[in-house]
Amino acid sequence: MSTAIEVRDVWKAFHDRRTSRTVLAVEDVSFDVADGEFVCLVGPSGCGKTTMLRILAGLETATTGSFRIVGGGRPGMVFQDASIFPWLTVEENIGYPLAIAKVPEAKRRGRVDALLELTGLTDFRRALPHTLSGGMKQRTAVARALVDDREILLMDEPFGALDEQTRVVLQQELLRIWGATGKSVVFITHSVDEALTLADRVLVMSARPGRITAEVSIPFQRPRDVLELRLDPRYGEITYQIWSLLRAGGPAEPVAAGEPA
Amino acid sequence: MTREHAESAGERAFRATRTGAPMSVALAENMVRPRRREGWIERLALLSPIVILLLWEFLSQSDILDKRFIPPPTQVVDEFWVNLENGKLVGHTRDSLSRILIGFAGGSAIGLLMGLYLGLFRIPRLLLAPVFAALYPVPKIAIFPVLLIIFGLGDASKWVAVGIGAFFLVFYNTLGGVLQIPTIYLDVARNAGASRYQVFRTVALPAALPDIFTGLRLAVGTSFVVLVAAEFVGAKSGLGMFIWSSWMTLQVDRMFMGIVVIAFLGYLAITFVGWLERRLVPWARH
Repeated sequence: MSTAIEVRDVWKAFHDRRTSRTVLAVEDVSFDVADGEFVCLVGPSGCGKTTMLRILAGLETATTGSFRIVGGGRPGMVFQDASIFPWLTVEENIGYPLAIAKVPEAKRRGRVDALLELTGLTDFRRALPHTLSGGMKQRTAVARALVDDREILLMDEPFGALDEQTRVVLQQELLRIWGATGKSVVFITHSVDEALTLADRVLVMSARPGRITAEVSIPFQRPRDVLELRLDPRYGEITYQIWSLLRAGGPAEPVAAGEPA
Repeated sequence: MTREHAESAGERAFRATRTGAPMSVALAENMVRPRRREGWIERLALLSPIVILLLWEFLSQSDILDKRFIPPPTQVVDEFWVNLENGKLVGHTRDSLSRILIGFAGGSAIGLLMGLYLGLFRIPRLLLAPVFAALYPVPKIAIFPVLLIIFGLGDASKWVAVGIGAFFLVFYNTLGGVLQIPTIYLDVARNAGASRYQVFRTVALPAALPDIFTGLRLAVGTSFVVLVAAEFVGAKSGLGMFIWSSWMTLQVDRMFMGIVVIAFLGYLAITFVGWLERRLVPWARH
């Protein structure tokens, strides 16, 4: 399988003007993401995982080290919450990247219609965000990140602000959409359950400065049902394993979890 | 649908929920549809100035207020028709309105662009902020003599006086609006590959629009205040000059008429900006 992203020895330090102290956010992070792979970065809040993702998105520059988006181009990004523009309707929000790229109206309409269909938002296309539920807002954000068909999707705790039930529904939808589009995904979460429900591989990060302390392969079959998955005897075992790694800061070597399905 | 029909549908829906009769989707939708009552309250709000006028008329006619100094509204209305017919009112109103329009539009446009620009770019903001902070508290009327020296007694000095007043309000509100844009919106734009100009147009402008309108509404009011004050002291025409000269010649009816006309025009202008805001900023709370 070919590689989609290569990250090599990335460090990132911030200087805080107010306290005039330098904070190390990311320490010596290296990992690869294969084509079409779903990778979750899991770690405590403030561990630098968002910073790592922003570097990949081109919104921050690494202090040292390098990364390569193999297919070229800029990855699409789904942000934490409240990232859709309140002054645009659902369809205008989804079409925003195409409007910026000056894609002709007719072509734009076709793509937006397809994404509205894919995310179940067709009936709400002309709604303004303040009339939508949190779940529908995040669906809109996901659709916007997919609309210009970039190779790679970066997701920064996209469902973190949602209630548990909505989150499970959107996780299932995300898996369906991912299965239909075959994109490479880097997904950040602080939820262990979410990580092992979605990912092919989980990268465990330590508290700040963020280092990747372990790598856990998730053996569950695809396509997955986010509820049925929890009946799998390995579910509890992997959950325990990731939690232990998080608690310990974890060993540096990759760990294989369970048996391949 | 007749009014009677609408009410009976609402009543049916009300009874249905109270009596536990089966609720239907159609009934529920009917219940949340906007009622006529809301429009009625809006119309009532328009009536409140009329109530005040009636009270004034009564107090003045019954000599509780001295008619020589505070004439009843009907007398002011008579004066209005006289001055409408002799053409004086139209001429002064036209002069005042064109001064306000030009001054307000110019000052607001420059304030808007400067606010957006300094909001988005830190270095020019740091360089220019002290200049604006020093100029802002200067009373606009205090510098009017200077404007008269530079721009003369004609329209230009009024354009500049009104423009300066409007500029600061729109500038500071726009700047505040841009500085409060959640950075996530800017990130989204950058992630979409937006150029600086595109960030300006597709994020900064719409995100700051609620604050821009706050500035515009304040600026409309200030434009009227500054213009009338400027016309009091240095103008050959305009409603301010009309009011002042009426006062100087003790034509109190005409003076009041001028005040009412300028107040009404100010009210119309602010109402228009409010209407524009509801159309252009439908996502903000009103």
